[in-house]
Amino acid sequence: MLGAFITAWELIISGDRELINILIVTAKTCLTSSLIALLIGVPLGIWLGTTRFKGKHVFIVLARTLMGMPPVVAGLLMYMLFSGVGPFGKLKLLFTVTIMVIAQVILITPLVIANLETYVSPISQQIYETAFGLGLGRRRTFVLLYNECVYPIFSTYLLAFSRAIAEVGAVSMVGGAIAWKTNVMTTAIMLYTNRGSFTLGIALGMILIALSLLVNIAVTMMQRRLSA
Amino acid sequence: MIIPPFTKTYGRRTVLRTPQLTFDPGKIYVLIGPNGSGKSTFARITAGVLDPDEKNGKHVSDGVIRYMPQKSYPFRMSVRRNIMLSGGDPERAEELIRRLNLTAIEQQKISSLSGGETARMALVRVLMKPCDLLILDEPTSAMDMESAMISEQLITEYRNLYGSAVLLVTHDLSQARRLADEVLFFQEGELYEYGPAEKLLYHPQKEITRRFLEFYGSLAK
Repeated sequence: MLGAFITAWELIISGDRELINILIVTAKTCLTSSLIALLIGVPLGIWLGTTRFKGKHVFIVLARTLMGMPPVVAGLLMYMLFSGVGPFGKLKLLFTVTIMVIAQVILITPLVIANLETYVSPISQQIYETAFGLGLGRRRTFVLLYNECVYPIFSTYLLAFSRAIAEVGAVSMVGGAIAWKTNVMTTAIMLYTNRGSFTLGIALGMILIALSLLVNIAVTMMQRRLSA
Repeated sequence: MIIPPFTKTYGRRTVLRTPQLTFDPGKIYVLIGPNGSGKSTFARITAGVLDPDEKNGKHVSDGVIRYMPQKSYPFRMSVRRNIMLSGGDPERAEELIRRLNLTAIEQQKISSLSGGETARMALVRVLMKPCDLLILDEPTSAMDMESAMISEQLITEYRNLYGSAVLLVTHDLSQARRLADEVLFFQEGELYEYGPAEKLLYHPQKEITRRFLEFYGSLAK
């Protein structure tokens, strides 16, 4: 374990070019996918939490079910759609960071939708009635509702980012873990472990946890500042 | 203000059936009745936040209504900003804040408030601007006796100042006795009896009203 720590530290301070590339690809993939999932999922979650229509529960159950979708299934789905014989094969996206981002967006967007819906649903009627009773218009009410969601939006983002950075099934299937191109932290850990380089695998694992910790600290600080 | 007759049904259960009602300006109408009798549903439909059954059409008010729901939402901002949400005269805000003992906490975040303080803030917030019909759903139920008394004074002053009709839902019969010009007694979704406070609260026509008043009246003594 101590050896892994030392190796991790040496890798970082040596500025190992492959490691830095892995870190950049990981950050690019996970930050992009979690932000896109947030942009899609937050309005959808709030919409589901505030509106009433027939079949709404079907959407909610679907979102909650998809929250538990195994990453390899998402990866397989993307692989079939974007492989040479698939309907989107011509786009030639397989084994690129773009397809990795798409796969992760599919994986984590239901998480964002379900989380926001769960938060908004019990307070939306109360907010609507209070705002309506004060004669506030729809736009103002909507702004107030969004304002109430700031805190859960941040925690949902952290959840989405954590799922993205920790998953390995989807990115390895559609990205192929190609060195210098689509290899991220999790796929690199798998590769090194398969090669028997356990120390390097553990070292990368530690860097992964440190990276996750840094993002958590940064988002939590922003959350506190905005909630103050 | 004329409120047309309406019904409200959930599934097969009709939870409310009311005749046409007229609320005259400057009068305080108090809604009483046991839990689940339809008081809050009536208040919500009258306020326009809940639709009656489709066959009744959507209730459209012909005047300005201000409404304080039973669970008035405290928005995540300071007490003062909450109070000023719908605008109004800052001097009036100062006066109401002072009267309801909110001065010391007016800059505090809403999350640090107790239930009673939140209720006082919600009442001040709804009293900030004039209206034709003011609807208050159990505004003082979370308050201590002193705050409830001050609140009653403020509600009466609001009525006198703006000439609004006031619809007040309460479980507190002594409050009904202090404030009501007219009383509406609800029982199992029906407006069972209504009329001048003096008559209904002391000489009810119907046996069920009398039993309700006796039971709750004896508890309040």
